[in-house]
Amino acid sequence: MKKALALLLALIMVLSLGAVAWADGVTLNVVTSYGGDDGNRGNFEAAVKAYEASTGNKVNDGSATSNEEWKAKVLTDFETGSEPDVLFFFTNADAEPFISAGKVVSIEEIRAEYPDYATNMRDSMLAVASDGKQYAVPSYGYWENMFVNKTVLADCGIEVPGPDYTWDQFLADCETIKANGYTPIACSLVEVPHYWFEFLVMNNGTVANHLDIPAAADDAAGAKWVAALEDFKALYEAGYFPANTLTASDAETVEMFNQGEAAFLIDGSWKVGYFTENAADLNDFAISYVPAKGERKASEAIGGISMGYFITRKAWDDPAKREAAVEFVSQLTSDDVLSTFVTTEVTALINGAKPAGLNPLQQSAADANANITAIAGAVQDTITGEAKADLFGNIQNVVTGKMSATDAVAAAIALN
Amino acid sequence: MNSMIYKNKKPLLVFLVPAFAFLIVFLYYPFFQNVVNTFMRIGGLGRAAQGLNTPWYENYRRLFTDPYMHTALQNTLLLTLCTIVFQVGIALILALLVDTIRVGAQFFRTVYFFPIVISATALGLMFNLIFLYKGGMVNQLLLSLGRLPYEVKPSGKVLVQWLDWKDQAHFLFTMFMPVMWQYVGFYFVILVTGLNNISPDLFEAAALDGADGWKRTRYITLPLLRNVLCTCLVLAITGALKVFDLPWVMFGAGMPENRGWLTGTYMYDQTFNRMNVDYGSTIAVLIVVLGVVLSNVANRVFRPSDDL
Repeated sequence: MKKALALLLALIMVLSLGAVAWADGVTLNVVTSYGGDDGNRGNFEAAVKAYEASTGNKVNDGSATSNEEWKAKVLTDFETGSEPDVLFFFTNADAEPFISAGKVVSIEEIRAEYPDYATNMRDSMLAVASDGKQYAVPSYGYWENMFVNKTVLADCGIEVPGPDYTWDQFLADCETIKANGYTPIACSLVEVPHYWFEFLVMNNGTVANHLDIPAAADDAAGAKWVAALEDFKALYEAGYFPANTLTASDAETVEMFNQGEAAFLIDGSWKVGYFTENAADLNDFAISYVPAKGERKASEAIGGISMGYFITRKAWDDPAKREAAVEFVSQLTSDDVLSTFVTTEVTALINGAKPAGLNPLQQSAADANANITAIAGAVQDTITGEAKADLFGNIQNVVTGKMSATDAVAAAIALN
Repeated sequence: MNSMIYKNKKPLLVFLVPAFAFLIVFLYYPFFQNVVNTFMRIGGLGRAAQGLNTPWYENYRRLFTDPYMHTALQNTLLLTLCTIVFQVGIALILALLVDTIRVGAQFFRTVYFFPIVISATALGLMFNLIFLYKGGMVNQLLLSLGRLPYEVKPSGKVLVQWLDWKDQAHFLFTMFMPVMWQYVGFYFVILVTGLNNISPDLFEAAALDGADGWKRTRYITLPLLRNVLCTCLVLAITGALKVFDLPWVMFGAGMPENRGWLTGTYMYDQTFNRMNVDYGSTIAVLIVVLGVVLSNVANRVFRPSDDL
């Protein structure tokens, strides 16, 4: 009996090995930021299914939600030789470690063999790495702006802010909102202070010098960053963030906003998809403008194209995977597929995207974007991951008075 | 036949050498390399070292002056203490109770052991929901019992002052409780197995002599369970030093306000999030040293008795 069982198990093992060997197509390991709660997760899954159906290849999807930990994991995978075949990742300084290590293939090299690769994109909008080459085929751009809960504002007798919204008006509104029992700002200072940081820095400078990196905490750019952190502290001390902002996750504070407990949320274009799927009534929300002070106008925002598809050297050097990887990127960045991902975001497509009918929140975003007068990239994308982790990790220390804003900026600069 | 096996030692080598080689390659060599890394400057996992630190013992100097490291050590040692008292203690009480019942013992064994088979990530997410600030299970219960203050605003909106189970006043309970809960079943099963090995004749004889339940436990069960209990304590102490997954899922990087670090979570954060591999290696060395020292102390203090 035991012998028969052993033989049966051995037979099953051999047959399963054979099945793998005889399977058609190849299995492509793909990592993207279209994780579970990404608004475009459904569109990504549909595009992957279409690719699998048309090629007979399989996609081993290792997607996750984008955050600092995910970025660190992707970089670690490259450093330990466990990188995927195709990666959808940031095209800024975050990608430099694996680009400089020669672990991804340039578009120029791919085009030498596949001349049609990414020819539907404007070359001028492809990100250029520090070596002067282009590596990533961009998907679509992003914008960051202020989401408002119209129901909360109406309950507090406050109008939806326009493109002339000032910081003083904002502070007065926050006081009214707080007095009415709502939380003015939905933000987890311990997990995602990123978006507020960008706008607070811009509020203490201009859109033109927004991307200046401090060399010291007391130079012009450093002074902007210090002032931004002090603005964080002022808002925290005024009680405008959630009572548990130092222990809450980003998901908790976003849900708080979604449930009509908070009035303002700064987030990105990707969050429109989240509300489309999770909001009870999209008419409760609108895209407004981040209040401005100093030389900045509220109509000036953060945006750009920051992510794209990379083909790794490992996949390129594997004859079985080379074509599969090229075909995957080509399909995922085709005009038709990208049009399903895009609603109000900019793309690098020569023919432009053609999104279908917009829902109320998407329409609100489109209306707000129509009033945007200037745009700058996110300054945090130009500093190293170590500096960024240190800076954002210290915001909780600054707002609670355990560390001065100057020391926090100096510590981050030292790691950049 | 047996004597032949013991005379010829060569076959033993065939089985021992591969395992030994495996340990050399995948444990001792990486550990040695890890010690070397503590003296270097390494800016990312897998990246080449950029030479020696200045001074070469910089990471060890930092280890003793880093306030977050002190916090991590304090929390880890406290967790170890709680593990001994609550994990093994509760497991012992449950095992003694289950051992006294005749019907349903198997049911309770399965129920108490069940948390072990659930992944720590799933447990972390579950406890996150239980202790959620707004609308979490515990806070809803407190609200329904009228234990949470609330205020009615002029607009008519009711503002409940939810209890933040992850703030500085509560985070230790919120972090340690799930860890205790998860592993109670593990020690429970070991202790129940130990109890089953005690001969029922002893209890019958004691009963005939007029010993009540407490006396039977005090003078028969506990002394005969000593060796098993010692093993549990050593396992609990060394296990507590390595706790990482559940606290990481629930508290991430040092929440709240850098008061929630454990040695494991701090090492992970330094190595993987901050790319400070050399300092992360130094923390790893400390964890190993601490593990060796504490398990030795535990072995000496709770040394199994040869008389039993």
